[in-house]
Parts: sequence; C-alpha cells; structure tokens
Amino acid sequence: MAEEGQVIGCHTVEAWTEQLQKGNESKKLVVVDFTASWCGPCRFIAPVLAELAKKLPGVIFLKVDVDELKSVATDWAVEAMPTFMFLKEGKIVDKIVGAKKDELQQKIQLHAAA
Amino acid sequence: MALSGFEGFEKRLELHFSGDGDPITAGEGLRQLDFKSLEQILAAVQCTVVSAVGNLYFDAYVLSESSLFVYPTKIVIKTCGTTQLLKSIPPLLSHAHHLGLNICSCRYTRGNFIFPKSQPFPHTSFTEEAIYLEQSLPNHLCYRKASVMPSKLSSHSWHVFSASDDDHQMTADLFTIEVCMTELDTVLARKFYRSGDDSGKEMTVLTGIVDINPDAVVCDFAFDPCGYSMNGMDGTHYSTIHVTPEDGYSYASFECVGSIHTREDIGEMLKKVVQIFRPATMSVSTTTSVGQEIWARVKNVLESVGLSCRSCAVDEFPATGCIVFQTFTTRRT
Repeated sequence: MAEEGQVIGCHTVEAWTEQLQKGNESKKLVVVDFTASWCGPCRFIAPVLAELAKKLPGVIFLKVDVDELKSVATDWAVEAMPTFMFLKEGKIVDKIVGAKKDELQQKIQLHAAA
Repeated sequence: MALSGFEGFEKRLELHFSGDGDPITAGEGLRQLDFKSLEQILAAVQCTVVSAVGNLYFDAYVLSESSLFVYPTKIVIKTCGTTQLLKSIPPLLSHAHHLGLNICSCRYTRGNFIFPKSQPFPHTSFTEEAIYLEQSLPNHLCYRKASVMPSKLSSHSWHVFSASDDDHQMTADLFTIEVCMTELDTVLARKFYRSGDDSGKEMTVLTGIVDINPDAVVCDFAFDPCGYSMNGMDGTHYSTIHVTPEDGYSYASFECVGSIHTREDIGEMLKKVVQIFRPATMSVSTTTSVGQEIWARVKNVLESVGLSCRSCAVDEFPATGCIVFQTFTTRRT
C-alpha cells in the first residue's frame, strides 16, 4: 500500500490500530488529524495538511473522523477540532489543538528532524 | 493621544437565523457553510482567517482583524481597524438563504472610534451605519431601534442598532459582556510585543490570559511586531480578547458569553482582565434579557480592584433585551 504523500483516512478501529502499529514500527513521525465533517476549521486546514503530506513523504499522516471512530476520539481525549497528535515510536511527542498553519508546519519540521 | 494609528475599537455584528425544522444538532445550519463561502463573506469585510478551532457546539475563527463565531443558527463577527463589517451582511444573508435559513434578528454594537476620520463607508458615522443596516436587512425584521448610550467621557459611548422579527426569542439565561479598555498600563502592554519566536501560546501564558478561564480551549495568535488575539471555547460559550498595545492608542477588548447559572465566575474573570491590562479607562456593556443584575456584579467587582464607576446608562432593545453601559476609570483620575 504505497500511500506516501497522502493523508491516510482510518475508518475502522482495526484500520486505525493497524496504521498506528505500522507507524510506530517505521520510527517515522506520525501526525494524526482528528477531524469532524461538521467542523468548519477542519475544512480550513484540510488542504494545508494535504499539501504537507505531498511534500513530506518521510512523515506519516493519518486522519480520524471523531464521529466514525468515537471510541478513539474519547480515548485520546479529543474535545476540540482539529486536534493534531504527533507520535513517534508509540509516544505522544506533541499536540496542536486548532487549525494553526504556521504552528503545524513548524512542529512537523521540528519532530520529523528529531 | 497619537494623531493616527491602528484602530483597536471593534465593530460587532450578531445575527440570528431560523429555518425549517430545528437545526440545532451538530454540524447543521450555518456550520455547513463551506470555507470558500466564508472566505467570500470575509473578503467583503477585508479580513482573512488566521487560525480556527471548533467543538460540538460552534466554530471559532481568529481573523486578521478580530474574530468570527459560527453556531448552527447564530453568527458573531467582531472586527477592528478599518474593516467594513456591515458589508458582510448581503453575502451572509445570501449564503444562509441557500442553506434554508432566514434571518430573524440582528444586533450591531460598537464603542467610539479613536480615529473616526479613518473609517471607510459605511462606518463614517453611526447615522451612515444605521442607514446601511436599514437598507440591508429584510423588511420582516420590523422591530428596529438605534441608540447611542452616553457616558461622562467623550471617548467612550456605546452605539447599538437592533432589529428583529415577531417570533425571535432571546435565550433567557444567557448574557454577553463587551469590555473596551483604553490607556493600558505601558509596562503590561509591552508583553504584547513579539520577542523572537514568541508564539501566541507563550503570550497567552506569560500575560496570565490563560488563567482567566482555565477550562477554555484557547486559539491564540501573536501579530508582528505587536498585537494579540485569542478566542476561548468552553462548551457553548465563547470568549475573545484583542490587544493593540501601542502607546498613544493602546486598546484591549474582552468579550464573553455567560450563563446566569455560572454568574459567579464572571466576577473573577473580570478581575483578572483588569489585572492583565490595568487600563485607565474601561467601558462594560452587558446585554441580558430583562431581570438580571449582572451589571451590579460587574460594578462591585471592578470597584474592588481600584476602578470607579463614572456612568451607567440603561436601554432596552427589541429581542436583544436590556443593555447596561457602564464606564469606569482608575481612582487617581
């Protein structure tokens, strides 16, 4: 599944678990976008994220809809959207709550290089 | 006072809509507006989205010149500088109409501009604004009222235009507080100048703004070389702060929506706001449906932190309720 350069949508808990595991094993930076279809700010940031995914094939981008995967959203305590979780080898290294273009770019660069 | 500079005083527009059926569940109503439509509306006002966040109840956007809040049936836009806020009304009504929503009430408020001659049409005078509103709003909003609420200070007065239809009911337990502060303490205002790679988050923490409502999700932004904006999100309630720190025309605003059930917290929040800015002059406009004494709590709290109440004006507006406009100055003046 060559999904480099794209934001991978996880639509079932199984798919989510699988992608997460793959990400952890790859030792790459994993950026998870917790999103909701009814949230305007998520629509605002979506194209930005897609661009970043294209430009940075060395980073894994995952997308989780909080209605589709309610349990995952609850487990990860997502209250506002979009929420971006930054993971490396299974650990949360950073988090952004809100659609903040500059901060998103900065943090991805920071953690991808680490 | 400087001869010219950035206009901190905002213009605020609140529109309520109703539609067929009851679109109060998540994602319906105005939240369906796609981003292109929102950009179009904001382009009419000449501002852009800087950052944004949403929760189950509403979306909050930090704009290049203030804030936008989108609920399923309510929209609040607050802009400063020389933006033409009222020009957002025609595109907004049009887009809402396409979503099956019709406007049922409108409230426009603002203080006094520091640099009124710099304002473009239709904000050249309150008369012009009222005429523009009269012409832009549909006829079924038949209960209209325009009023200027005075104070003893020429720099602070409160302009209100409200319009509503027959059926609009104001939510009885909600109140809105709009605070305008001028002549900010110069040392405290310096904290709103960017130093190095300061992000909005650092400013929010360093200035103490993060403590005003620790339960709120904060979306903040620090402008270059100075200036700050934030939106707070706490359940269905928003709060927003905008700061123009430059000496000579310094200004800061604080606005929040609260519920009478959490009235006690407002006092503490206002105390912290005063401590963060220490303005020489502060005006507070509280909007509630009839019968609540938030304004008295505001007065007590502000007097407890060294401010004196200089004036109090009260007026009632259709569907908006009762607006109490109070001004305060520090006791040394």
